[in-house]
Amino acid sequence: MKSDFKEKMEKRGITRRDFLKFCSVMAVTLGLPAGGGKAIAQALETGPRPPIIWLEFQDCTGDSESLLREPTLINLLFDSLSLDYHETLMVPSGSLAEKSKQDTIKNYAGKYLCVVEGSIPAGNGGVYAMIGGRTALSIAQEACGQALATIAVGNCAWDGGIAAAAPNPTGAMGVKDALPGLSPLINLPGCPMNVYNLTATIVYFLTNNQWPLTDSLGRPKFAYGEEIHDQCERKQHFEHDRFVLAWGDQGHRNGWCLFKMGCKGPRTKHNCPTVKWNSGTNWPVGAGHGCIGCASPKFWDQLSPFYNPLPDD
Amino acid sequence: MPQIFMPLITKESSEPPTTPQPQTKRIVIDPITRIEGHLRLEAQIENNRVADAWSSAMMFRGLEIILKGRDPRDAWIYTQRICGV
Repeated sequence: MKSDFKEKMEKRGITRRDFLKFCSVMAVTLGLPAGGGKAIAQALETGPRPPIIWLEFQDCTGDSESLLREPTLINLLFDSLSLDYHETLMVPSGSLAEKSKQDTIKNYAGKYLCVVEGSIPAGNGGVYAMIGGRTALSIAQEACGQALATIAVGNCAWDGGIAAAAPNPTGAMGVKDALPGLSPLINLPGCPMNVYNLTATIVYFLTNNQWPLTDSLGRPKFAYGEEIHDQCERKQHFEHDRFVLAWGDQGHRNGWCLFKMGCKGPRTKHNCPTVKWNSGTNWPVGAGHGCIGCASPKFWDQLSPFYNPLPDD
Repeated sequence: MPQIFMPLITKESSEPPTTPQPQTKRIVIDPITRIEGHLRLEAQIENNRVADAWSSAMMFRGLEIILKGRDPRDAWIYTQRICGV
């Protein structure tokens, strides 16, 4: 089985070195002790790998795009984890697509992972998101209800996201509110979510057969345990009152703190400063724009206007 | 007459028809996959020709309604979330 996995990876252009590097990155993201990377590699190569049903409701496909930025996971998914249903990526359409989903639900009941992207609308009987003639709520009840676990990716699937921003015209809500009591339910907010956190969550489960510890809002602590402000590389500028006061001023060119430009880092818990985006390329503050707090609850209403600074406290 | 491509995907029936095939039938493809968003396509077939067709967007959020009254400097941040591709 190990050599079979290795062959599959190599066919997709992933060398063993790439794969082991991926496992170490996962171990670091998860904050695991030494040897974590090896345990992950072992589990991924030889362990059982559940199929995944990826549902999209009132989404923009941003979380799927985040997923596509990490080629190793995509390759793992297509070859090892079996992405059985994903409307944006799958080959069959119409009733054949539905058949793929139903086959997985039936044949792997209790054994598949359900990933949900996008909010679920309750207004007007749920007509604002319908797929294959069914409401989003009905689809979620069936697919999430029979899954091994549900992972809600992105803010929309967590707290309704942008569709739920005032005045919430469609009655949009996240999975935890549309399906109260659903468990296990892991939430990975962010607009979009960071693919490294999704990867690490799945990898943690495959390695340890349990889900990472979550906080009171259902977010894994390894990714959402610390404030962005405390991890920020510009924190010393904040401490010493070196603030950007206008776009393009000398402070901006020097990489000073963006607090006065509206940065919501002190109100947000996420691991952007350490994990970064686009394979570790950069993150908003690093690129010179303040954090908009996109992993915070109801940030579209609570943390806007985004360019108004937080109160000094 | 332009060639009309008709995908061979219809609502499935496992039994052979016992009555003669109707001259009029309706093809529904929902969901259309490999696109962003949720799309439903329907076609009315009469005498082996497409007599009518419908394309329906199956999801609505109301971003224009949500934008009203907000700080204009934020507009791009909301609008950008219309599509993540």
